[in-house]
Amino acid sequence: MLLLAPTALALGALTVYPGAWVLWLSLQHRIPIFGVARFAGLDNFTFLSVDARFWSAAHTTAVFTVASVALEVVLGVGAALAIHTQRRGRAVALSFLLLAWAMPAVVAAKLFEWLYHPVAGLINVALGRHALNWLGDPAIALAAVTLADVWRTMPFVAILCYARLLAIPPDLYEAAQVDGAGRLATLTRITLPLLGRILLLAVLFRTLDALRAFDIMFVLTGGGPANTTETLTVYAYRALFQTLQLGFGSALSVVVFALVMVVAWAYLRLLRAGSVAA
Amino acid sequence: MSAWGYGATRLIGVLVLLAGCAGSPGEGEPVTLVFKYARILGNADPLPTLLREFEAQHPGVRVKGEAMPWTSDDQHQFYVINLEGRSPGFDVLMLDCIWTPEFARAGWLLDLTPYLQPGELAPFFPSTVASATYDHRVWALPWNMNVGLLFYRTDLLAKYGLQPPDTYEALVEQARLIRGRERDPALDGYLWQGKQYEGLVVNVLEALWANGAPLITDDGAVFPEPARAADALRFLRGLITSGVSPTWTTAADEELSRRAFGDGHAIFLRNWPYARDLFESEGSAVRDKVAFTAIPGRARGEPGAGSTGGAHLGVSRRSRHPELAVALARHLTSERAQRAIALGAALSPSRQALYHDPELVRRNPAMPRLHALALAGRPRPITPYYLLVSATVQPEFSAALVGVKPPERAIDDARARLGHFLGALR
Repeated sequence: MLLLAPTALALGALTVYPGAWVLWLSLQHRIPIFGVARFAGLDNFTFLSVDARFWSAAHTTAVFTVASVALEVVLGVGAALAIHTQRRGRAVALSFLLLAWAMPAVVAAKLFEWLYHPVAGLINVALGRHALNWLGDPAIALAAVTLADVWRTMPFVAILCYARLLAIPPDLYEAAQVDGAGRLATLTRITLPLLGRILLLAVLFRTLDALRAFDIMFVLTGGGPANTTETLTVYAYRALFQTLQLGFGSALSVVVFALVMVVAWAYLRLLRAGSVAA
Repeated sequence: MSAWGYGATRLIGVLVLLAGCAGSPGEGEPVTLVFKYARILGNADPLPTLLREFEAQHPGVRVKGEAMPWTSDDQHQFYVINLEGRSPGFDVLMLDCIWTPEFARAGWLLDLTPYLQPGELAPFFPSTVASATYDHRVWALPWNMNVGLLFYRTDLLAKYGLQPPDTYEALVEQARLIRGRERDPALDGYLWQGKQYEGLVVNVLEALWANGAPLITDDGAVFPEPARAADALRFLRGLITSGVSPTWTTAADEELSRRAFGDGHAIFLRNWPYARDLFESEGSAVRDKVAFTAIPGRARGEPGAGSTGGAHLGVSRRSRHPELAVALARHLTSERAQRAIALGAALSPSRQALYHDPELVRRNPAMPRLHALALAGRPRPITPYYLLVSATVQPEFSAALVGVKPPERAIDDARARLGHFLGALR
C-alpha cells in the first residue's frame, strides 16, 4: 500500500485533480477575464447538442481519424514488407522513414503548405492545367490535410511492423515453402496474422492521436474553408485560448476526453480478447 | 469620477511622471524594465538602439527587450496566460490594436489617461487613438499604423487608358477588359484574402462597409442590416465564381496574394502598406509598375474605406515601475523613435506629421498619399469581445465564400451564434 503512494499521489496531482477541475469548469459559464463565473448546469452540453459547429467538428474528426488510420495501416504494412524483402539499403530506407516521423508536426505542416501552394507549389506545378485549390476547396481540403498527416505518421506503423517482421522465425517460412504455400498464402496465412497484435497496438496509438489531431490542420488551414477541417480539438482551442470561454471550452474538452476513453476501452477489450484467443 | 477628482488624478499623474523621468529610482538600486514585442521585419531592427537611448536618458534603468512568439494567435495566448496569472514579468507590452479593449476590460492594462498631457494624442491618427480608447479612458499609445490599400498595376492600367477604380464595379470591369485584351492565362484580376482567418474578417468588413452594413454597432446590435451584409458576401463570392479572382482566393492570406501579385500575376491586390516596400525592392518583377489607391466603394453604396490595424504599446497594471514604464512607452512612440522605425523597417508611423517628413518622403514618395488613405481608414469594431466576434463570424464568412452556404444563411447563423455567446457574457 505504502509503495503505491508515490504513484497514487503523482496520478492524483497530475491527472485526477486537473481532470476533475475541467469537469467542474464545464458545468459553468466562466470567462474569467470578463468576470463571468456562474453555475450553468448542463447548459454548455445542451448547447453543444444543437451546435452545428460542434457536429461538423465531430464529423470532421471521425472522417479524419478513420481515413488517416486506415491509410497509415495499409501504407505502413506495405512499407514494412517492402523493407523486409529488400536485400540492400535497409538502413537508408529506415532512416528516410524515421526522418518523416521525427519531424515536428508544425514543420511537416509548413512543408505541405509549400507543396500545396496554389500557384508555386510542387504538386500544382506538376498538375499544370489541372491544378487544384488544395487548401481552399471544401471538397478536398480535408483530404489534403489527411494526406499530410499520413505522410508524417505512417512511418510509426511501418517501423513497429518491421520490428515484428524481424522477430518472425525464418523456419516458419521454410516450413510453409516445404508445404507448398505460395507467396500470397504465406502473406495471408503467416505474416499478416502474426502482425495482428502489433498492428492493433499501433492502430490504438494512432487512433488516439488522430482523435486529438490539432497542429496539422491548425497550421495548414486554421480549420477552414467553411470549417471543413476543424476538428474537435481545434474548436476547443478556439474556445479556450482565443475567446477564453473556459466553461464552454472545458465542455468541449470533456467530450473529446470521453470519446478518447471510449475508443481506448474498446480497443483494449479487443486486445485482451485477442490475447485470450491466441 | 468628478471633474475635480479627474483633474487631481491627472495632476498627480503628471507629477509622478515628471519624478519618474527626472530622477533615478533610488541610488544603487538598478531597475530593470521588460519590454515584450514581436521582432520588427526590415533591413535593420531599430529597437535595440532605441532601448539603449532610453537607458542613457534614465541612469540606473536597464531595459530588456524580449521577443514574442511569431503569430498573432500565439502572442495573444502568451499574454492571456501571463496576464491572467498575475505575474506578468513584463512592464511594457506591444499589443495588436484589436486586443486593447479586451485587455483593458480584463484589468490588465494601466489606465494611461492620468499620465497624458492635454493634446498629447492629437498628433496621432484619430482612428488609432479610438482603438486605444475604451470606456472613455486611454489604455495604450499607438505605435504603428496599418490600413487596407488597393494596389494596382500602373503599366497595365495606363496601357488601356484606365484610371484606378473607385468602385468594386469599376474594378471588375477593368479586370475583365485588361484580361480579355492581354490574353495571358497566368494573369489574374483581383487578389485578396479569403482564407478562414482574421484577414478574411478584415476583407469582408471592407466589403460590408462599402455596402453600408456594419458588423456590430456601438450599442451591440449584430448585423443590423442583414440584407446588405448578405449582398456584400454574395458580391465577394461572385468575384470568385466569375473568375475575376482566382479560385484559390479561398486559401489566400496576405503573403500568398502578395507574392502572386509581386510576381506579376495580377492586376489588382488588396493588401497592407508593407507590400509596397517589397514591390519596390530590387529584383522585384513589378518594380516601378505598382501604385496604390483607396479600397473601392460600391456603385450604389458608400465610398470605400480601408480597415485599419497596427500595434499599440500598453503598460501592465502589475508593473512595479509604472512611471518608468509609461516613460518608455512614450519614448518608443515619440516622433523620433517612429521615424527611426519607419526608416529601418516596413512599418508605418501612427503620428501623422511623419507622413510629410522630408527624410521619410525621400525614402518613400508615396507617404503623403498613404497619409490621406490612413486618415480615411476605419477601425474594426472596438469591443472587448472582438476575438469572440471574429472567431464566430470567420467560418460563416468562409462558408459563404466557398459556396457551401447561401450568404443570407451565413449571416443568419453568424447572428444567432453571436447572440448566444454575447448573451452568456451578461
